[in-house]
Amino acid sequence: MAVDMDDTLEGGRSLRWRRFKGQLFEGLLAGSTLIGLAALGALFVYISLDALGLTAAAPSWYLLYFATLVLPVSAYTLYIRRRPAVAAVNARAFAVVFGTLVLSLLVYAVPAALGPHDVLLFLLFGTLPPLAVVGHAKTYGESHLTGPAIPVSVILGIGAGFLLYSVLAPVFTTLIDWVAYLFIVTLPIALAVGVLADRRWGRRAALGTAGAVVAAALAGLGGALALGQNPSLWVVLGSGFVAPVVFVYVDTLRNAESGRIGLLGPVVLVGGIVLGATLESLLGITGLESWLTPTLLLESWSSVQAEQAGVYPQIIGSIMIVGLMGLLSFPVGIGAAIYLEEYAPSTGWRGRLATALDVNISNLAGVPSVVYGLLGLALFRQVFGLQPGILLAAAATLGLLSLPIVIVAAQEALRSVPDAYRQGSYGMGASRWQTLKNVVLPEAVPGILTGTILALGRAIGETAPLVMIGVATTRFSPPDGLFSGATALPLQIFAAAGNAKPEYRTGVVAAAAIVLLVLMLIMNATAILIRNRYEINSTKAE
Amino acid sequence: MSNNQPTPTLQRDGLAVKKEKLYGYLLAGCGVLTLLVTLGIILSLSGQTLIFFSEVSFVSYITGTDWSPLIGAADYGVLPLISGTLIITFVSALIALPVGLAAAIYLSEYASPKARSILKPGLEILAGVPTVIYGYFALVYLTPLLDGPLPLSVPVVPAGIPVLPEFTLVIPSLQTFNVLSASVVVGIMIIPMVSSISEDAISAVPDTLRNAAYGLGSTKFDVSTKVVVPAATSGIVSSYVLALSRAIGETMAVTIAAGMSPRMPYFPDILRNLADSSQTITAAMVQIAGAESRSGAVFESMFALGMTLFVITLVMNLLAELVRRRFREEYS
Repeated sequence: MAVDMDDTLEGGRSLRWRRFKGQLFEGLLAGSTLIGLAALGALFVYISLDALGLTAAAPSWYLLYFATLVLPVSAYTLYIRRRPAVAAVNARAFAVVFGTLVLSLLVYAVPAALGPHDVLLFLLFGTLPPLAVVGHAKTYGESHLTGPAIPVSVILGIGAGFLLYSVLAPVFTTLIDWVAYLFIVTLPIALAVGVLADRRWGRRAALGTAGAVVAAALAGLGGALALGQNPSLWVVLGSGFVAPVVFVYVDTLRNAESGRIGLLGPVVLVGGIVLGATLESLLGITGLESWLTPTLLLESWSSVQAEQAGVYPQIIGSIMIVGLMGLLSFPVGIGAAIYLEEYAPSTGWRGRLATALDVNISNLAGVPSVVYGLLGLALFRQVFGLQPGILLAAAATLGLLSLPIVIVAAQEALRSVPDAYRQGSYGMGASRWQTLKNVVLPEAVPGILTGTILALGRAIGETAPLVMIGVATTRFSPPDGLFSGATALPLQIFAAAGNAKPEYRTGVVAAAAIVLLVLMLIMNATAILIRNRYEINSTKAE
Repeated sequence: MSNNQPTPTLQRDGLAVKKEKLYGYLLAGCGVLTLLVTLGIILSLSGQTLIFFSEVSFVSYITGTDWSPLIGAADYGVLPLISGTLIITFVSALIALPVGLAAAIYLSEYASPKARSILKPGLEILAGVPTVIYGYFALVYLTPLLDGPLPLSVPVVPAGIPVLPEFTLVIPSLQTFNVLSASVVVGIMIIPMVSSISEDAISAVPDTLRNAAYGLGSTKFDVSTKVVVPAATSGIVSSYVLALSRAIGETMAVTIAAGMSPRMPYFPDILRNLADSSQTITAAMVQIAGAESRSGAVFESMFALGMTLFVITLVMNLLAELVRRRFREEYS
């Protein structure tokens, strides 16, 4: 036997000792790697035990949900595991159902806080001028000025919106809310799917799909008015959630060659929960004592009664801060990355400038986040003389903070585009900008997107800079404009973490922490999904 | 490199060339903006810091052992805050540096592709958990957990030996706000930083080195510990320095879990330093920012602390960069 031979080769004991040492070392390394993950698991388990009140539920409750939810979902997962076609359809179904639901709720809630009329006003001023420029180029032919004219027209349009705001605002306010929502949500979605359908299937299909989106919105509106629900919300849900879900399901049922059974994924999950909840109330089983309630998600904070405390303004405030931060920092960050990767020469004074920029960016990435808070404080309070803690200041401060992360991520994405692509483009006579716009950027987009979404996920949990610039912890309504006071979910967790009352300490705060973790996880999962999809595509292409 | 591409501008009209140049300048402007951010940080910090030192003497700031800007006659001695920061950094390093390096070696040398595909996103999520949640976890869940078996009396020198006096090490019970739980969560949150940068350095070690060592009859253990890790030392050390700098600048977790009581370290009974509440530089800044009245020297002291923090972390980041460049083994 081999072992015996080895033993005779080299005095048995020392060899066995060596093998043992190797195994011990490997076990030690694996154990250390698991320490971090175990800590992560403990954090999630402890906080969600309290937030969901899992310990309060009777054993029969666990049995019930095991039968209605865990068993079907596990069986379904086992079934799709070895069938790639089903898994692909399943992923698509999950993405469209939950992705559009989350996006629709956002598209409803953010304009609701800002005032749908104001959003409509600025949307019109921001989109009509560039559309006019594109229309002009379509009829009279493109010129060198068309490209630069588009962003300039957007900026001029929004500027004009600000100037004319006081005149036009009273006119717009007379509109009913849901009419504004039809314009700011339904119409853009209808236009977008119309253009897409026009490219894929032709004019008739385009009119059909766009019409279907509008019809879904109107159906939502009619239903809501008849049943006394919020008409604006149902307009958004009709065009942003129902229409795409129905489209994907019908499209898959009619055109997919295989794997249609994957459409059942969301049905199994949601159906399991609904069935469980129905049986729970029918049979009178003691359920969870959950703090993750509609009150928490839809009401504002109360420091007196834990049962009435909610974090709705904080959730919307966090999302607004992060969204505005993305608008401010991503163009600059991606621009800087493009300069460093595609434009900056490696020699001469500009080469030295590029090296200096690289060193500077890696240093900025190491500056503690509180220091960025001081920068924001000095910049907005001392220099611009603005009120502390406004939405714009919060977003800009976090934007500066995430600039190095965005730049590094975009640089990596640009670097991964093979040089042969650039050479090919140059060889066909394209200029540097044309190469960038038509060849390099489209290839780099998934990588850039992954990095930027991760930056958003990081920013949503940032607390220290917001404390430094004086963002209010508790507000009773979400911010309603750029210069309105901001608020953020992590700030509320910070402020309430030290509360000694157990219903706050291990109740509401735990539930708020779960909400924050879920927001962070949604973003990370989106980024990881984009990356995996992109990696699969790029290996296929090779 | 794409930079060396000759741009064929032979037959473009003037407007096209101007447009190309304009885009180039705009993108360069985005790059230069990052320099302005650094400049802004330095200017805003140094301006207020200079005003602060015109009111409070620099010597009393740097040698003072009492930090109480908000109570009565304000004292601005930074030493308690620095010692608080260093103790937390040290204890968190005890956790993060070995664990992070071990994780890096495991991921790069031992783990199967399947294990990697699970472990790496897990570590990414560990890095993405908001620090305020780490602080909440430390305060509400970790402290009672760690406090479970305490207070302990560990007899270091067993009783009954006539020569030596009996000596028992007492580990005191934890306060509500304590350094130990804060240090543990800070250690956990910087593990991914150590592991990801170290792993990059370890995977950059060329396979020829490994194969040569195997050819000489080394075991995998020998290859990992005697060839790969020494070859990646510069990257590992730089990851260590960056992680320490991150721990020094960490704010929310230590503010929530370690409390707001600045104090000089206890000397003979060292372990009390872990069990008691303390305050770091960052936590002091947050406390002032959240205070009701913050004007004059109190407000400016925030910037002086920020400057202190900025200088410490900048030096450490530059050090990490230097280590990486100077001691990098070039393989080609």
